[in-house]
Amino acid sequence: MSVQWQQSTHGVQRRRQQVNRMTVITFAAITVLAAGLALSYLALVASSAHLTGDIWKLHNEMADIQRESSRIQTEIARLSSIPVLQERSVKLGYQPAGSIEYLQSEVGVP
Amino acid sequence: MLRGPEARLRLITVLLIAAVLPVIWELVRLQVLDRERYQTKVEELVVRPYALAAPPVGTIRDRNHDLLVGNIPIYSVGAEIGLITDTTMASDELAPLLGMDPAVLEQMLGDEEWPYVWRRLADGIRGEAAETVKDLKQTKWNWLTLEPTWERFYPEGELAAHALGFTNKDGNGYGIEASQYHLLQPRPASALGEVDVLRVPLSEELAKGKLRAFPGSDLTLTLDRTVQAFVEGELEKAMVEYGASGGTIIVMNPKTGAILASASYPDYNPSLFSHYDASEQRRFVDPAVSVVYEPGSVFKVLTIAAAIDSGSITRDWSYMDNGLIEYGGVTVYNFDRSSRGHQNLQGVVDHSLNVGVATLATQFIGPETFADYILRFGFGRPTNVGLFGEAAGLVHLPTDLAWADSFLVTNPFGQGIAVTPMQMATALASLANHGTMMKPRLVVERVTPEGEVVPVPPKVVDQTVSAETADFVVGLMEHAVNNTIVQAQVPGYRVAGKTGTAQIPIAGGYDPVDVITSFVGFGPLPDPEVLILVKIDRPQVERNLRWGTQTAAPVFSTVAERLFVLLGIPPTEPVDL
Repeated sequence: MSVQWQQSTHGVQRRRQQVNRMTVITFAAITVLAAGLALSYLALVASSAHLTGDIWKLHNEMADIQRESSRIQTEIARLSSIPVLQERSVKLGYQPAGSIEYLQSEVGVP
Repeated sequence: MLRGPEARLRLITVLLIAAVLPVIWELVRLQVLDRERYQTKVEELVVRPYALAAPPVGTIRDRNHDLLVGNIPIYSVGAEIGLITDTTMASDELAPLLGMDPAVLEQMLGDEEWPYVWRRLADGIRGEAAETVKDLKQTKWNWLTLEPTWERFYPEGELAAHALGFTNKDGNGYGIEASQYHLLQPRPASALGEVDVLRVPLSEELAKGKLRAFPGSDLTLTLDRTVQAFVEGELEKAMVEYGASGGTIIVMNPKTGAILASASYPDYNPSLFSHYDASEQRRFVDPAVSVVYEPGSVFKVLTIAAAIDSGSITRDWSYMDNGLIEYGGVTVYNFDRSSRGHQNLQGVVDHSLNVGVATLATQFIGPETFADYILRFGFGRPTNVGLFGEAAGLVHLPTDLAWADSFLVTNPFGQGIAVTPMQMATALASLANHGTMMKPRLVVERVTPEGEVVPVPPKVVDQTVSAETADFVVGLMEHAVNNTIVQAQVPGYRVAGKTGTAQIPIAGGYDPVDVITSFVGFGPLPDPEVLILVKIDRPQVERNLRWGTQTAAPVFSTVAERLFVLLGIPPTEPVDL
């Protein structure tokens, strides 16, 4: 048996033994920390994946809104287009203007 | 035999290392040696193309921001066949929405001979039908698939069809749609990357920021839809009244080159361009920029401007009109074969004397100077107004191999030279704008996908003639309207203009019967804000009425009278109401 082994197993050097316990504690702490970090990473990845889904969903919702917006814009344009306005005017009983004049009041006349 | 704990400990250590070594080796093999093979395998499994929804093509609006061309969402509807439980009920309910025969649809949904995983059912589903299909998908039939895309929509129908135009899927087409295709087209976002089972890109993929879809740029045009609609209505009336085969009206602001309206007949419905058969596709060609004609007497004012501006003559020039002139083997007569005796420049314009301008060109201006002014006025090259398929026209220069002296005697009154209506309007606009030629333009501004507004400012092309020369020639034109072309007068406004009645070249000469009549006028003087070109092709009225004065000038008057009011331009002269 080596001297060190004897010292360790027979309690000859208590001080050295204490140092080894510290090493073990440190090792355990590092292990726990690493495990914690690994878990955090996993949680982060899971959260990121979830957020990715959300982002993708938002992309699609945005596209849906854009389509709806465009549809409404074109519908407004159609309803206010000249042919539609003319048709509605005729239905309301308006007549096409024949001759129109540009009227100007004389200076000083209200 | 191992003795003692230390030896056993060493043995255990060796065994542990021996156990770990294969693991390490396997790691090295997987991560380093066979890396490419496994990476390929992974890519085969998870790397797929993915895309954001297609962004829309840019919109086109008029100068008041009224929508002229927009986009409507349409859908391709499909079905995941394997998930369908009741094909009869589904086909009965879906068929009217998809515009299909229920029996055909049922066969498609329940086809057992060809076990489709997914099948496209119908394209171009829009409006309420699309909304109902969406509801059906969300509420009871999750096997339905809807793939959105866009379709161009023209809310004003056929309005400004030639100017707006269209493009097919390859980007070929007509009008501003084709000429500005690169700006209007969106930049769709698609990429090849790692996706999950639902084709949703993995977070690393999105983090790369590869996907950014941009819609096309929006364009704001100089066109005014109210002016355009009115002009198109008047053109249509003229086509009917004169039995003409075609016609064009261009409304331009000579100060800025802005085209307020460009109407041509025959036209078409751009949203139905694919429905026209091959024989009708000539309708797509815009006569305002792509079809040339011999302008006739309108050209005379440009010849006079060239003569004065070049110093070839003075403003008090006069000549003895004998009714004909011979030059280069060609004899040119006045339109009515009359001899007018002693005439000055005003007489040449008032009576539209061919002999007068032919005399100017042949005896005073000369071929080189005349050609120089033809080019200065923008003939022989496209105006670059921004429309697809613009023609350059045909001009004859003394340096051409095909040059003949006869060109110098016919070109001054607009025969033997081919121009587009847009070129003619632009050239006359330079006279109206005191000699400064503005580039004709259709686009006021574009809005980039990022929202940046990029204005397209007016651009000076050239000073064609001096301001004094231009104003003098405009004065001649105003006098002509006040005295001989009275049909073009606009009550309350000072206007100037010139008629043209041109023969139509055919194989071997000129058409003995048909003519093209035109009038280019502008007002109100002295600082015109509106120039109107009216061109009527082959009017079928009595032969003695087939003149620009009788056909095109009255159309100008009607259009100008209404436009001055629509554009808020007050009268320049008192009017008796």
